[in-house]
Amino acid sequence: MLDRQIGADLFEPIPPYPPRTEREGEFYTLGDGEMFLNVGPHHPATHGVLRLVLKLSGEQVVDVDPVLGYLHRGVEKICENSDYYHVIDQVDPLEYISSLFQEWAAVLSFEKLMDVEVPRRAEYIRVLSGELLRIASHTLYIGFLALDLGGLTPILYGFIERDEIVEMLAALTGARMLFNYFRIGGVNGDLNHEFMSRLGDWMSRAAKQTEASAGLLNENEIFVRRTRGVGVLDRAAALSFGVTGGNLRATGVPFDVRRAHPYSVYPELDFNIPTRTEGDSLARYLIRVDEVRESIKIIDQCLHNIPDGPVMAKLPRLLRPRPGRSWGACEGPRGMMGVYSISDGSDQPFRFRIHDPSFVNLETVPALLPGNLLADTMAIVASLDPVMGGIDK
Amino acid sequence: MDRTLKTRLEARLADHLLGSVYQRHDETEIRIEPGSVPEVLRILHDAVDLRFEILADLAGVDTGEVIQVVYHLWSPMTSDWLRIIADGLSRDDPRAPSATFLWPGAEWLEREAYDMFGIVFEGNRDLRRIFMPPDYTSFPLRKDFLLPDDAARSPGAGVRHVERGHGPAGLADDPAAGIRRAPAS
Amino acid sequence: MRASMTSVMAFVKSLPAGVLARLSLAERLALIFVPLAIGAGVVTVLAIVLLGPPLTDLLGANLPLVRFVVAATAILLMTIPTAFVLIYLELKVIARMNLRVGPNRIGPWGSAMSVVHGLKVLAKEDFAPTGADVTIFTLAPVVTYMASVMTLLVIPFAPGLIGQDLNIGLLYFFAMGGLSVLGLLMAGWSSFNKYSLLGGLRSAAQIISYEIPLTLSVVGVILLAGTMSTNRIVLAQSGSLLDWFVFKQPLAALVFFIAATAEANRTPFDMTEADSEIVAGFATEYSGMRFGFFFFAEYVNVFIVSALAATLFFGGWTAPFNWPLAYNLNWFNPWSLGFFGWAAIVLTVLVIGSEFFAVIVKLLGGREWSAWDAMGLGFLIDLVLVVGVLGLAGFIAFDWVQGIFWFLVKTYAFVFTFVWMRATLPRVRVDQLMGFAWKWLLPASLLNLFVTATAVVLLNR
Repeated sequence: MLDRQIGADLFEPIPPYPPRTEREGEFYTLGDGEMFLNVGPHHPATHGVLRLVLKLSGEQVVDVDPVLGYLHRGVEKICENSDYYHVIDQVDPLEYISSLFQEWAAVLSFEKLMDVEVPRRAEYIRVLSGELLRIASHTLYIGFLALDLGGLTPILYGFIERDEIVEMLAALTGARMLFNYFRIGGVNGDLNHEFMSRLGDWMSRAAKQTEASAGLLNENEIFVRRTRGVGVLDRAAALSFGVTGGNLRATGVPFDVRRAHPYSVYPELDFNIPTRTEGDSLARYLIRVDEVRESIKIIDQCLHNIPDGPVMAKLPRLLRPRPGRSWGACEGPRGMMGVYSISDGSDQPFRFRIHDPSFVNLETVPALLPGNLLADTMAIVASLDPVMGGIDK
Repeated sequence: MDRTLKTRLEARLADHLLGSVYQRHDETEIRIEPGSVPEVLRILHDAVDLRFEILADLAGVDTGEVIQVVYHLWSPMTSDWLRIIADGLSRDDPRAPSATFLWPGAEWLEREAYDMFGIVFEGNRDLRRIFMPPDYTSFPLRKDFLLPDDAARSPGAGVRHVERGHGPAGLADDPAAGIRRAPAS
Repeated sequence: MRASMTSVMAFVKSLPAGVLARLSLAERLALIFVPLAIGAGVVTVLAIVLLGPPLTDLLGANLPLVRFVVAATAILLMTIPTAFVLIYLELKVIARMNLRVGPNRIGPWGSAMSVVHGLKVLAKEDFAPTGADVTIFTLAPVVTYMASVMTLLVIPFAPGLIGQDLNIGLLYFFAMGGLSVLGLLMAGWSSFNKYSLLGGLRSAAQIISYEIPLTLSVVGVILLAGTMSTNRIVLAQSGSLLDWFVFKQPLAALVFFIAATAEANRTPFDMTEADSEIVAGFATEYSGMRFGFFFFAEYVNVFIVSALAATLFFGGWTAPFNWPLAYNLNWFNPWSLGFFGWAAIVLTVLVIGSEFFAVIVKLLGGREWSAWDAMGLGFLIDLVLVVGVLGLAGFIAFDWVQGIFWFLVKTYAFVFTFVWMRATLPRVRVDQLMGFAWKWLLPASLLNLFVTATAVVLLNR
């Protein structure tokens, strides 16, 4: 009765034009007993403005079509029109939760382009702040994963811990979220007393706090049952998708850019690469927890080994690198963040290409989701740790 | 800078390379014709002394004269990043073979290159726009993209196109083809 | 009422502009409301004097109608404050467990938050989404609310204080509780929204599945008490602490508690309103008072389920230990004072007492407490003290006050546990939830039933 009155397709998420590709046509053809559910850009749990058009058969997901672009800002084009210093600022809001890593990738690429040597103290400071931010990002990841599964409390505890770290970094860099701290040839400003005192204070509590927060969820039967065996990504599939970061290490491939292709002072630091073989959401979660421990180790070593010296190389005011191309990649909390930049001799990059890890991580969603229930959708998407800013550039 | 990589590449890919292997810092760069992309990628992926298993990036580049597709690969056998520039795509009709036969994850990266540059990747099952809406007509990252012209062509000016499909013929070119539904049972 | 308001407003507007501008907000409100209050008081007294006797005769002739109105009012007066208290508890307790503060602006320590929520919900636009079946859409919250509220009939609050001591009290309770499924299904279907549909179907499946372990776990209690009447079940547990059925039926108590959590759609079984997956489940398209009804229904459900747990397993209104002070307060006959005597005492105690405490608060607080705040807090302290003294007197003198006190303590202990679980536990997935009910709770309750029945037979022999 309703169909005749209103038209059953009024609210269906079917595009009003013929399918542009084979896959689109195949997706938007409903089988027997299937229905579309639009987990739209406005949703409490899609980690930003992500639209997932789900094809459901009852509660089971049959297919999914992620629709991106709601946060596309044209960062690459903007960077083509800004000079090299400004690029650092523009590239911050990509993965806004861990913004130092985009800066790091950009700065790595530019330094190779311009043959700039970074002072060792600056490198140590970069590693220190980067690892702190990695911990902050992971605590937030743990919180969001729990929130998407229904637990209201770990996210707030995660924000408390993140707040401590972010206040530390605010004392160092001046900003809480979009730091704009790295520079080509070093960092913007040396360590100061407030940062060091906050850091010392935090370090004395960090290990125990990590264990406590991890223990909240690790041993929770409901959480483990919801994540074990859910969204299993096997090794070959992960490699073929180009997944990097914790998601790849959860499938058994020990690929970490810090070890595979070392940059900065990582060759001198002693840390392990946690790897697991199950490939399910629980493995991805446990790897993040292990990485927090490793990061605390790295921070400890940095604090002991940091040399004195300048924190910024001497560079001209107007940066005009020779024409050339360079690629720089660093290991962010979500995977490999890479920047390919082409210089044409002017003071603006000719092409500034950002490779974001969340983009390829999200690409596994159409392969992981089918076969699982609707309730697992959010668990899987949350366990992949997507940040829409980076995905949509 | 891995000199041995240069010799290995020249040995394996001799007839595909345009020019010599260029190395700088920790990057090795080769240029190839767009047509030889599948073969080159296959050799790089499978050869036992190369084993470039991880596709790090797939990007489009508009040099102002030609359009390029740039691949970055990583291998555990070498300490360098490998950059493959598939050079010489024309700006009027840029076409390149798709890498999705080897790395299904290249699908979205190629969609992004198509969306931003208009490069049509033959063999990509799902080549539609990824960031821009389906009725968008320009390719933003090209060098001849001018924002006022783009705004003039936008739906705000009353123009409503839908992008042309690049799938198998007979699907998107037929304007009468709607979304097929299963027969009501 | 409106006419008097407009006339007052006209009068107020006619005052010279300067006078009006110099009045503070409180003074302006006083200027409007004090005459209104006086007018209302005069009208009421006149109505009582003039219309009283004919009205009483009219009511006496329509006694069933009067009973209905009184019962409905009693239900609203009972359930809505309960829901308010529960909502506030939930907000505040979960906030504290999350290391946050929770509501602390409205009222002292945020306690008037629920009232404000209630008013907000009343003030919202009343609409139904396009394509929704408006009749069913409107009726669904009513059905859910009535299903929850009708079960209050058989809950024993105190000795002699029970709605209706039905012989089949427990059966009635579960029958009424099961009707809430209907409301949720109606809501899910009529909203013309796939999220609501999914939520409604999930809730139907969940509630129906968990009703079976729920009822089976209670059969053991029925066997032990020999009756389905809730009042007599509580009486069967009076005596000593160890007579409580939780010690005789621990497995049943556990199964009941888990199944009750699922029945009340509480975390970890709140798949129906899982707001990280299906936005708000069956209530996605609801707003305003309709949503308010669902909200109230849920919290009343939590209250009655806790009440039932306390009644069936924890002794209901019986005290855990024998109350030693059987003090006789008969020397004081409260009826001797009469209406005016009581009015005088109440006014004196309230006004003087609140002023007294307000002065103390102002002296201690100093500059931080404005005069209004100090008076408010003073009034509150006085109220608490007066209620406390009266409550203590009642507690000592009347056994039904004791009964209510112990009943509420136990019920709110369970309510607190429900809220605690919501703060700490993540959600169980739908199929795991179903599997748990059918594969674990049902066999457990059946096992409990067999063991109890065997024990009863053997012990009686």
